[in-house]
Amino acid sequence: MAGLLTKAAAKAFPKSLWLYHCNSGACNGCDIEILNVLTPYYDVERFGMKLVGSPRHADVMLLSGAVTRPTLPLVKRAYEAMPGPKLVFGIGSCAAGGGCWFDTYNVSGGGAAAVPVDYLIPGCPPRPEAIIFGVALALGLVEQKASPVELKQVEFPIDAYLRNKAWEERNVIYRLLKD
Amino acid sequence: MRYFIPLINIIIFLVLAPLFEGVLRKLTAKIQSRQGPPLVQPYYDLLKLFGKENLNSAGTWPFKFAPLLAFAAILTVTAVIPFGGRAGFLAGGLDAILVIYLLTLGGAAVLFGALAGRNTFGLIGASREMVTMIMVEPLLAMTLILGAVKIKSLSLAAAMPAAAGASYGVSTVLMLVVYLLALQAFVARQPFDIAEAEVELLEGPFIEYSGPNYALFKYAMMLKQMFYAWLFVSVFIPVLQTGIYLLDIVLQLLAMLAVFLLIGLVGSTNPRMRIDQAVRYYAVLIVLALAAVGLGVKGL
Amino acid sequence: MWLASKIKQVVLALKPGTVTLKYPAEPRPAPKNFRGQPVWDHTKCIGCAGCADHCPARTILLRDICQDLRVLLYDGARCMYCGRCADLCPEKAIVMSPDFELATGDRNDVTQSLELFMLTCNRCGRCFDMEIKNAIDKLGLRGYRYDSLEARTVLRRTTDRLAPEVLDETGTFRRPEKIGG
Repeated sequence: MAGLLTKAAAKAFPKSLWLYHCNSGACNGCDIEILNVLTPYYDVERFGMKLVGSPRHADVMLLSGAVTRPTLPLVKRAYEAMPGPKLVFGIGSCAAGGGCWFDTYNVSGGGAAAVPVDYLIPGCPPRPEAIIFGVALALGLVEQKASPVELKQVEFPIDAYLRNKAWEERNVIYRLLKD
Repeated sequence: MRYFIPLINIIIFLVLAPLFEGVLRKLTAKIQSRQGPPLVQPYYDLLKLFGKENLNSAGTWPFKFAPLLAFAAILTVTAVIPFGGRAGFLAGGLDAILVIYLLTLGGAAVLFGALAGRNTFGLIGASREMVTMIMVEPLLAMTLILGAVKIKSLSLAAAMPAAAGASYGVSTVLMLVVYLLALQAFVARQPFDIAEAEVELLEGPFIEYSGPNYALFKYAMMLKQMFYAWLFVSVFIPVLQTGIYLLDIVLQLLAMLAVFLLIGLVGSTNPRMRIDQAVRYYAVLIVLALAAVGLGVKGL
Repeated sequence: MWLASKIKQVVLALKPGTVTLKYPAEPRPAPKNFRGQPVWDHTKCIGCAGCADHCPARTILLRDICQDLRVLLYDGARCMYCGRCADLCPEKAIVMSPDFELATGDRNDVTQSLELFMLTCNRCGRCFDMEIKNAIDKLGLRGYRYDSLEARTVLRRTTDRLAPEVLDETGTFRRPEKIGG
C-alpha cells in the first residue's frame, strides 16, 4: 500500500510543481519576466504550477541573480529548507554563470556556487517564452534544442603547405639557402 | 443501511472535496481570462505532497499532531451529518453542539500547529486566525441554534432538514442572508482569507509545514469548504427531499456545486479586507444573526 | 449599488474569453532585430580576437594550440546577448540569431567552438598584430594567446613564439577559490 502511494506520488510530481522565487541579488529584470510568466498571456498555471511564498511548500526554486556575497548563505538555507525531491532552475545569465559580473569582488559566481542548478535558462532577461520552454523541457514536453557546435576551417593535411613545398623545390634560391 | 451511512458520507466527501476545489480554481482562472489548471489538479497536488519528505522543522510532537487533529475533527463531522437526508447510526446520540465543538477543534488545531512552528509569520497568521474564529463561530452556532429553536430539540438528525421543512419564516430568510454574507469567511476565501493562504504573510499559519503534514491540512480545508456548502444547501433549500437516497445525494451535490460557483465568483472579484475592517463587518453580522434567532424564538 | 458593479465586473472579465497563448504547442517567433544567441560563421572568421577582447562577460576565449591552429570557444551560459561581438567583427562573421529557446541541463550545451587555421607569414613566422582599442588590453596580448579553455578563463599570458611549456601550464589552470566556495 505504501509502495502504491509512493508510485502515485512520483507520477503526480511533474503535474503539480510549486515554485518558490528566490532573488539572490538580481537586477529584477529576470524577476519581472518570471512575473510575466504567471500572467494570463503566458499562463504557466495550466501546467499545474503555482507560486508559493514559503520554501517549505515548494518543489522548484527559481533562482535569479548572480549570487552575491551577502545572499550566498541565505540561498543555501532556503535550498536546505525545501523538502524532498527538489529542482533548481537558474533563470537568466546571472544565475547560469554569473553574467558579466562573474569575477567581481562581491559575486560568488552564479547559481552553481550556492546550490546545484538543474536547468539553466540563459538570456538577459530570458523571454517569457524561453522560460516556458525551459519549464516544458523539465516536464518532458519538448525536446532540447541547444547542442554544442564545433566548426573547423581546414582539415589536415593542409593543401597550401603541399603547394608551398612544391614551389620550394622548384625555386633555386631556397635550395641554395638550405645548404 | 443506517450502519453504512457514515462510511458512505466519508467516502463521498473524501473523493469529491478536491474536485470542488478544482472547480473553484478553474473558475478563478476563467474570470482572469486565462486557461487555468485542469479540474483534477488538486488531486495531483495532494498526491505530490504525500510523496515529499516530511520535515519536522519544529522538532516537537504538537507539530506533527496538529494536522492529524484537524483532519480527524473534520472527518468526524462528515461522518455524523445527515447527508442526503438520511441520518446514520451515529446521529442518534449526538446533537448540534457536537458539530460546533468539532469545527472549533479543527480551527484550534490549526492554531496549535502554527504556534508550534515558532515562526513570526506563523504567529501573526495564528493571531488573525484566532480573531476570525472568535467572530465567525457564533454565526455558525446561531444557524444551528435557529433550527433547534424551530423544532424545540437539539438533535442533529432533526435540526437540519427541519429548519427548512418547518415554517420558513422571516427569521429563516434573515439567517439565510447572514449565512450568505458570511460564507466567504467560513470557507476562508477573498475577501476574508485574512489568516491562511495569504501571500502577504507567506501562507500564515501553515508556513512551516511541508509534505504530508501540509497535505493533511489542505485536505482538512477542502473538506471544511464542502461541509459549509452542504450546510447551506441542507438548512436553507427546502425543495430537495424526494425520499430516494441516491437522488437526494445527487441533488444535494448539484446544489453544492452551485454554491461553489457563487463562492468562486465572489472570491475572484473581491480584494482582501484588513483585519479591523473584517471585525467590524462580522460584528454587524452577529447582531443580525442574534435578531434572527430572537425572531425565531418569538415564533416568526 | 455595489452588487450591480460586481456583476458588471464579472461580465467585463468574461468578455475577452481565454487569452492564453498555446506556446509550446504553437511556435512564437521572436520580433525583428531580436538579439538571440550569436552564431559564428567559420568561413568568414579570421581569428582576430576582436570579439574576445570586447566581450563584457569574457565569454569568448581563444587559444593557440599549435603554430597554425587557433581555437575559439564561446561559452553561452554567461553571455548577456549584448551584441558587441557582432557589432565589432570586421568580417561580419558573427550574427545574432533570433534563437531564444536555449534552456538546457548542462552548461556545455550552449557552447560553440571554432578551429581556425592561421596561415603563417613566410618571412617571419607570425606577422599578425591584434588591433586592440581598449587601453587596459593593450598591456599585453600581442602574439600567441594561452586562455584556459578548460577553466573558461582569460589568462594574460602571451609569447612571441609558440611555447609548449606555457601551453601545458594553462591546460591545468585552476581558478582561485572564491569566498564561500
